[in-house]
Amino acid sequence: MKVQRWRSLCAASAIALATSFAPAHAGPEDDTLRAAMAEEILNLDYNYTTKREYIILAQLTDATLFNLDPETQEVNPSIATAYKWQDDMTLDVTLRDDVKFHDGSTLTPEDVAYTYNWIANPESESNATGVVERWLDNAEVTGPNTVRFHLKSVYPLVLRDMANRIMIRKAGTYDPDGKINRDAMSSDLVGTGPYRVVNFEPGTELVLERFGDYFGEAPEIGNIVVRNIPDVGTQQAELMSGGIDWMFKVPLDLAESLGATPMATHLSGPDLRVGFLVLDAGGYTDPDGPLTNVLVRRAINHALNTPEMAEYLIGGSAEAIHTACHPAQFGCDQEAVAYPYDPEKAKELLAEAGYPDGFPLELWAYRDKAASEAIASDLAKAGIDVTLRYVKLESLNQARAARDIPAYFGTWGSGGTADTAAIARIHFSGESDRDMSGDKDLAELVLSAEQTADQEKRKEIYSEAIGKIADQAYWAPLFSYSANYLVSPQLDFPLDPDGLPRLQNSAWK
Amino acid sequence: MLRYIALRGLLALLVAFTVSLAAFLLLNVAADPAQAIAGEDATPDVIEAIRARYGLDRPLSVRYFDWLGGVLTGDFGESYYWHKPVAELVTDRADETITLALSALAVTIVIAIPLGAMAALNPNSWIDRFALGVAVSAQAVPNFWLGLIMIILFGVMVPIFPVSGDDSWKHFVLPAFVLGASSVPAVMRLTRTGLIEVMGADYVRTARSKGFRGWPLLRRHAMRNALLPVISVLAVQLGQKFGGSVITESIFAINGLGRLALESILGADIPTVQMLIFVFAIVFVVMNLIADILNAALDPRIRIG
Repeated sequence: MKVQRWRSLCAASAIALATSFAPAHAGPEDDTLRAAMAEEILNLDYNYTTKREYIILAQLTDATLFNLDPETQEVNPSIATAYKWQDDMTLDVTLRDDVKFHDGSTLTPEDVAYTYNWIANPESESNATGVVERWLDNAEVTGPNTVRFHLKSVYPLVLRDMANRIMIRKAGTYDPDGKINRDAMSSDLVGTGPYRVVNFEPGTELVLERFGDYFGEAPEIGNIVVRNIPDVGTQQAELMSGGIDWMFKVPLDLAESLGATPMATHLSGPDLRVGFLVLDAGGYTDPDGPLTNVLVRRAINHALNTPEMAEYLIGGSAEAIHTACHPAQFGCDQEAVAYPYDPEKAKELLAEAGYPDGFPLELWAYRDKAASEAIASDLAKAGIDVTLRYVKLESLNQARAARDIPAYFGTWGSGGTADTAAIARIHFSGESDRDMSGDKDLAELVLSAEQTADQEKRKEIYSEAIGKIADQAYWAPLFSYSANYLVSPQLDFPLDPDGLPRLQNSAWK
Repeated sequence: MLRYIALRGLLALLVAFTVSLAAFLLLNVAADPAQAIAGEDATPDVIEAIRARYGLDRPLSVRYFDWLGGVLTGDFGESYYWHKPVAELVTDRADETITLALSALAVTIVIAIPLGAMAALNPNSWIDRFALGVAVSAQAVPNFWLGLIMIILFGVMVPIFPVSGDDSWKHFVLPAFVLGASSVPAVMRLTRTGLIEVMGADYVRTARSKGFRGWPLLRRHAMRNALLPVISVLAVQLGQKFGGSVITESIFAINGLGRLALESILGADIPTVQMLIFVFAIVFVVMNLIADILNAALDPRIRIG
């Protein structure tokens, strides 16, 4: 009897202790989605930030003139209801009249014109300036709900840039009384998005609540709390104990092992990042080197077992690719020639090119060591004497700038933009040392795609460019990457094909 | 004594500047700050623009002496990453680290001194062996591993403490235990050795003959002398807690100086790393100095200077 009483007392004490000490649990009970991010959140103004975490947050707190449909990449209305090209250099945009800022004021065309003119002004030092300065001359108010954009030159991606980058601010936000304040929105954000900021402690926590006057479809979840937890193991523990509902950038092995338990659900979604081998076809390191021979470059493409690399080394939803762009990107024509894995064919092509015993090749890499070694190993099997130089990104950049790199394993995320322009311009327009093709015709072709507003025409141009890159085997495209998430079993978190996590579309099951 | 303190203070500054110079050179050799700020997919134009904006295109020596000149006038520069004056950044986050370091020291004292005393009072018994086992284990276990184990035990299996954040005292329980555990072996062994030595001293034998036993004997006669070396070790350990906070704060998501140090190193934010190293070095040297002074104050036989 005495023992029983003692046990009961202990149990009661334990429950009382656990109840009084237990941390607040995330979930549908308080309609609060708690998300963890390893990257410190320091600035809420996406006009002054760049990284992916900030894009995710901007989707919650801000709205742009247009939205891109993640499935079709079509431009949909958002703050703007319609647009009309007066000519190739003049764009008229009509605005909704019911858009409210988080402080309750109504959005006006003056706000839109001010925002664009401010961002285009080099004095703004905005991270978005580079996006608009190449095309925007100025924006002017032309009516109670209309704004006219005057362009510097023909630029077909204006609507895409408007959808992706420029967050609308109230007129005078960054220069009240003529005094510049670039941090005006960094903490006390007044946006127009579906959630408004309730509390923000930089580097620690961001608390958002559903904005009742949001002009679009109201999100299902009432509150979102974003916590900065740098250690992925701690994020995992928080998820297991109910402290958070959502974590991303999860290593595949952890995502798979925890996802196999009832405590969490593993979601693997697409990522626009692709991996590829860049070959010095232009002969920058050696004008008569083997890589200037198209047969050698085709042999390298045949030598790489990309499906197995994607499946076993990258994992998740990663897939082998055969184009110099992500298949989900606009203009990334999948009809381009493919070089299936065939080591024998690779050897034959090398022999035909005059290298029956292979040749020495210095291969540079800076990330995904296992994949880098697999590439080196596959090339060695085809007879190429590979020396793998696995270095830091800075070293690779310096060596590439000095034209010391004959071949490197690179990756590109396209800034989350599902358009071939976002990868082709930097790698094949001849404007950067990343372009090792030395093909001036190809560079002209790629640049011409940015000189037309006709989307069908752009598609044709990119199709031709991607086809030429494949035919000439300037690259050996390798694989796409995958984005791994761990979420609470109670959370329904839809994944979009463009790989951008949209927490505002989440719902409780 | 004053001369001694002044000399040690000067030495502290020299150490801090030497360490900061080494850190400056190593950071610049190991990483390109402009690339780190710009990110993986940055174009060369963007990287060059950042290099020019922050003056990273100037020679290393010019940049270091610029920084040094600023420090001498109290200006530690502005963070590349947080876009704030570094001094403000460090001041904002110092509270959390001081709280954590002092809590960890309290944990060390609460565990190590009673354990050392019990071991000394029962030498070669199972209690002594148990205490030795605790000391060896605490010495052998790395901080990050113990942190994760504590999180699994008290955050997941028996969820009684929050595992991340710094909102309340509860958030500091697990990290203080993890950080404090690493100092238990040194303090426990020193307490044990000191007490065993003191317990054999004449004045303790005299106290025994007067009828003192157990706790009163320890408290009134043995402890004070036995703890002399422990106090100086505790001061040094407190200095080490600041350095140790780098891992612990990152695991438990405490927004203190340790986490700031890690983020700054990963982001190649040289001005912030420089000031943190400077601060950590000063704290460490000052703690050593305090240990020496305390020893002198507590033991009249010790004279310094």
